[in-house]
Amino acid sequence: MYRSTGFISFFLRRLTGVALVIYLFMHMWVIGSVNQGPGVFDSRLNMVQTPFFKLAEVALLAAVVYHAFDGIRLLIIHYTGITDNRRSMFYAVFAIAALLTVAGGVPILLFMFE
Amino acid sequence: MFDFLSFGKTPEMIKKRKTAFVRVQRFNPDEDEKPYIQEFEVPMTPETTVLDALQYVKTELDGSLTFRKSCRHAICGSCAMNVNGSNDLVCHRNLPESLDKTGVVTIKPLPYLPVIKDLVVDRTSFWEQYKRVKPWLVPPEDAPEKEFRVSPEEVAAINSAETCIMCGACYSSCQVIAMGKDYIGPHALLKSFLRVMDPRDTIPGERLDISGGEDGAYRCHTIFNCIDACPKNLNPTEAIETLRKLAQRRIAFEEERAERQKTLTEAAD
Amino acid sequence: MRIFQMQRYSAIALLFFLTIHMIVVHYPPFHIDFDRILERMDNPLWKLIDILFLFAVLVHALTGSYMVLTDVERFNRIKRVLAGAAIVLGLWAMYYGTMTILAFSPPT
Repeated sequence: MYRSTGFISFFLRRLTGVALVIYLFMHMWVIGSVNQGPGVFDSRLNMVQTPFFKLAEVALLAAVVYHAFDGIRLLIIHYTGITDNRRSMFYAVFAIAALLTVAGGVPILLFMFE
Repeated sequence: MFDFLSFGKTPEMIKKRKTAFVRVQRFNPDEDEKPYIQEFEVPMTPETTVLDALQYVKTELDGSLTFRKSCRHAICGSCAMNVNGSNDLVCHRNLPESLDKTGVVTIKPLPYLPVIKDLVVDRTSFWEQYKRVKPWLVPPEDAPEKEFRVSPEEVAAINSAETCIMCGACYSSCQVIAMGKDYIGPHALLKSFLRVMDPRDTIPGERLDISGGEDGAYRCHTIFNCIDACPKNLNPTEAIETLRKLAQRRIAFEEERAERQKTLTEAAD
Repeated sequence: MRIFQMQRYSAIALLFFLTIHMIVVHYPPFHIDFDRILERMDNPLWKLIDILFLFAVLVHALTGSYMVLTDVERFNRIKRVLAGAAIVLGLWAMYYGTMTILAFSPPT
């Protein structure tokens, strides 16, 4: 395996991407049941209100934020052609994603214990 | 991963060492089932290169060690290998600078390519992909009596790409190549960039069809391993980004090229 | 090339839509108010925005999955099958999602 910061970034991008695709179809499955009557909807919604899914929600936030900012990095590289600052850009994406995950994740977890 | 932090700095204790431990990946397809690591102790001076160390092992310690080398001046591109996890030409890689704290350097063949023996890899896919991009120049049929007039700016744009020595360091560091050998690869895309940007070339559209096609520039995922690996400090990623942009405006680019070639043979005023 | 461009343009659209989605649905952050969602979904403009969002997210998800798979040599040989599967799945999900958004009503 040829390890590098670029590889880690690429691997996380793919991993979060695949995870988000799976989430997307689960999300559609839950919300889509709204037209099948309150019983079905409530049972599916209760299924995803457990502590396990609250933790998964923080992971989801991390995945979305990382994937989005990595995408912004790629757009910047594509449209400006900057390749010299590639390493600082990797670290900037990691830092921003971590920061936003903490900022958004703490309220989610606090709400869980209310 | 963090070896760039200590790059260019050689600790004093390493400088004082008289010998280095060279760990080489060995594999003989006739005898071994899978590759293994063998360690040799090699004398060194501050000027010793990794290639010198390998040569010492071959002549003094174990004549069966197999590796490719030729010019020893970083211009033939034969001796690209994986030193401490990153691809480099061993002939211009300083041995004391490559050692870790215990005086060990690990040398492996180029990753993701089939190993023939010890440090020699099969580069068939490398050259097959190179052929696909038509790496030669296709000049206009009516060649001028004296010369083509190419502007300094046009030369500057392609100047660096011309110094590629085809060593394979970028190709074998590429993560996309690791997943499948269908991708054209950074080496061939850099060459394609060189020919597409050359104002003398008459078939930029055909080239962009190949390098901007399914297996070409759009398969690059901007991982930057090729830039880090290149021993000549070239920039295949930037070339690939340029090819992407040109492929999106292929027709207009072909027209610009045809227009440019009308003035290519005119003498300077 | 076309797939790459679909991926890129849908990514730019998603940056826009996802920001709206996050702010509107999850702010204030401490609970998801069901009545508020219903009130919002009564507005046809919101339905239109959500349908466009759904389209962008499906394009991005399916082209992304296609590119993840075809990067592997083994799957690249059956890429027509994969492309067909992605189109069928996309059309079905688009239909299902649009129906959900259009008929969004309180579970009485």
